[in-house]
Amino acid sequence: MNSMTTMPATTHETCVPVDLEYLSEGLDELGIGLLAFDQNECLTYSNQSAVDMVALDKVDSDERPHLVQMADVFGSSLSTAVEEVRQNGSRSVRHGLHCSNRHGRHMLIDLSCLPFCGMNNDPCVICLLHDVRQRHQFSDDTKFLRQELQILTDVAAALSSSSELVQILKVILTGATAAQGLGFNRAFLFLYQQDTNELIGHMALGPVSAEEAGSIWKDLDAMRLSLEELLEDNQSDTDEGLDALTDLITDFRVRLDDESAIGRACHDSSWLNLAISDDTDNLTSAFARRLNTDKLALVPMVSKGHLMGLLAADNQITGRPISDEAVQLLQALANQAAVAMERARLYDNQLERSRELERINQLLAESQDQIIKIEKMSVIGELTSAITHELRNPLTVVGGFANLMLKSTLPDENREYLNIISSEIRRAETVLDQVLDFSRASKGENCPIDFSGLVKRSLDLLKGRLARRELPMFLSQASEPLTVFGNSDQLSHAVYQFLKLVAEELTPPGEAEVRTELRDGQALMLIKIRRPDHEREQVRRTLERIITQNRSSQRLTILVAGETIRYHGGNFGIACGDDSLPSLYIELPVMKERPSEPAHTGG
Amino acid sequence: MSPHILVVDDDDGIRVLYQTELAREGYQVTVVDSGRTALAAVSERQFAVIILDIDMPDMSGIEALTHLRKTSPETPVILNTAYSIYKQDFQSWLADAYVMKSSDLEPLKKKIKELIDPVEHKCQP
Repeated sequence: MNSMTTMPATTHETCVPVDLEYLSEGLDELGIGLLAFDQNECLTYSNQSAVDMVALDKVDSDERPHLVQMADVFGSSLSTAVEEVRQNGSRSVRHGLHCSNRHGRHMLIDLSCLPFCGMNNDPCVICLLHDVRQRHQFSDDTKFLRQELQILTDVAAALSSSSELVQILKVILTGATAAQGLGFNRAFLFLYQQDTNELIGHMALGPVSAEEAGSIWKDLDAMRLSLEELLEDNQSDTDEGLDALTDLITDFRVRLDDESAIGRACHDSSWLNLAISDDTDNLTSAFARRLNTDKLALVPMVSKGHLMGLLAADNQITGRPISDEAVQLLQALANQAAVAMERARLYDNQLERSRELERINQLLAESQDQIIKIEKMSVIGELTSAITHELRNPLTVVGGFANLMLKSTLPDENREYLNIISSEIRRAETVLDQVLDFSRASKGENCPIDFSGLVKRSLDLLKGRLARRELPMFLSQASEPLTVFGNSDQLSHAVYQFLKLVAEELTPPGEAEVRTELRDGQALMLIKIRRPDHEREQVRRTLERIITQNRSSQRLTILVAGETIRYHGGNFGIACGDDSLPSLYIELPVMKERPSEPAHTGG
Repeated sequence: MSPHILVVDDDDGIRVLYQTELAREGYQVTVVDSGRTALAAVSERQFAVIILDIDMPDMSGIEALTHLRKTSPETPVILNTAYSIYKQDFQSWLADAYVMKSSDLEPLKKKIKELIDPVEHKCQP
């Protein structure tokens, strides 16, 4: 107990004779001092323990310090207690008297004064003194340990609620530098990079100057936050707190070797309370110089035997010495942090895996839709193939005989009819050719396709067949890869048909730019028609007519090509860009990343 | 003596058309309706050209072609079908020509002439 207390005195005690010599031996063994005062308050006896406590110089001399002198040692407490005994004839007790002995040694005394009978039955007083300082020291140690435990508990609580690495690192730095925490002036965090065996400066917390320190610490002091509150406050905004001190170590790399103190500390997972001297190795000296300090604590952060980083802390602003106990506590904090960092890393890995699974599931779902569509396409393909075959034979026969008859002598009227039959048969055969192309394309496999390459091949194929009167076309390919997923034959057929229709329907003057580009996650093919301004409306109407299937001869072509584009999740239509040029566009979704499957580029 | 052509097709109309048209061109024409009868006909006499349909019920044209290449390797064969897909079947490459069925018989007749008299139709340098 630190405060002085007065125990209630015994109300009635008789004056008893005491053998002081006999009593003092036993009290000496317990380290309890004994002083005896006569009725004149003169010291008449003291045991060895009392001599040591009070630092009486001449125990065996006649010099017996008067109680007034004793007041120099015990203040007024002793005389008051003695006086109480004398007056009341009962015991007087004082606990936790702070005092210094005659040599200035601080003491904490429990005092008990009792009446007794001296020689001649004179009423005297004996005082028992017990120095309880050691007990209080133990109490102080307990209190300190409790504080340390509280710091670690608060930090552990903050770490357990953090899964973000930045938050964890801020908790560590705050715990190390807060006055309510370990109270270092500055703390620096380095993360370990295993492949290069390097520590890399990552984050630091603390003032850069004494002026800033005064300002910051004053503000923090005024806030009167507990460590728990401070940690919570610092965690709430992860962008702040990365102060100018961080710049001091950003991109600072330290290659570890076993020759340096810092390297050995990391290798052996042992802390260092370092004072830079001439004997300090170059690497460690350079490290301290970079931090602009010469005394610092270094604690490796290790989890499951793996080095995660290094925490450095110093008292560069106040110059306060760094005790080994403080470094040990810093190490305890760093160990917790390392575990939290490991946990954050595992959490990140799990999160990444979870996202990957989610992505794969989405791809699977999309693939499933695609498969269903492809199966439908396949069934349609087989059906159209069978129908086409069945139709082609009778058409061949009818058309063939019509042509045969046209070679004979016929009335003009019959010849005209036969010409109509022959012409319609040819048209029907053309339609069947298109349907057969579609049917054949439906048998192909789905794969990633280089969309720009597909457009180029289709255009090359068309250029070989373009008549002179038809619109010249040139290609502008996207600079980035445009990979779409689907049936290459089907899409080639569809793109080719769109290009062919535009080339046939729009004749010179003018030209068409066939352009591929990436826009809003879509692979785009634009057929831009360059014509004089006054013809643009007419061009737009022509394109409109193509895609709305207004001409019967094109109806099947555009139907099949358009449905093919839609089956692949795409669309087509008329656009008018910033340059006001009318254009026909086809868009297809760009394929999301799929592992190890190169885009199909074959012809 | 005019060249003798064998037409193999299961479609009655096609057989009549080809027989009429080719006879008008001056060829002798024999028509059969299956791959098996075609093999039997070839075993009995020599033909200048065989026009072979592919999709037939008892024996496909491709199968008949494989046999013909063993029994009568020197006889030119034109595969004549409504399907372009068979062009991708490597066995169809055993044929000397591949002509799609059409009411316009000119491409077929042109190919027959090329095969019967290759020298005459050889490309000039």
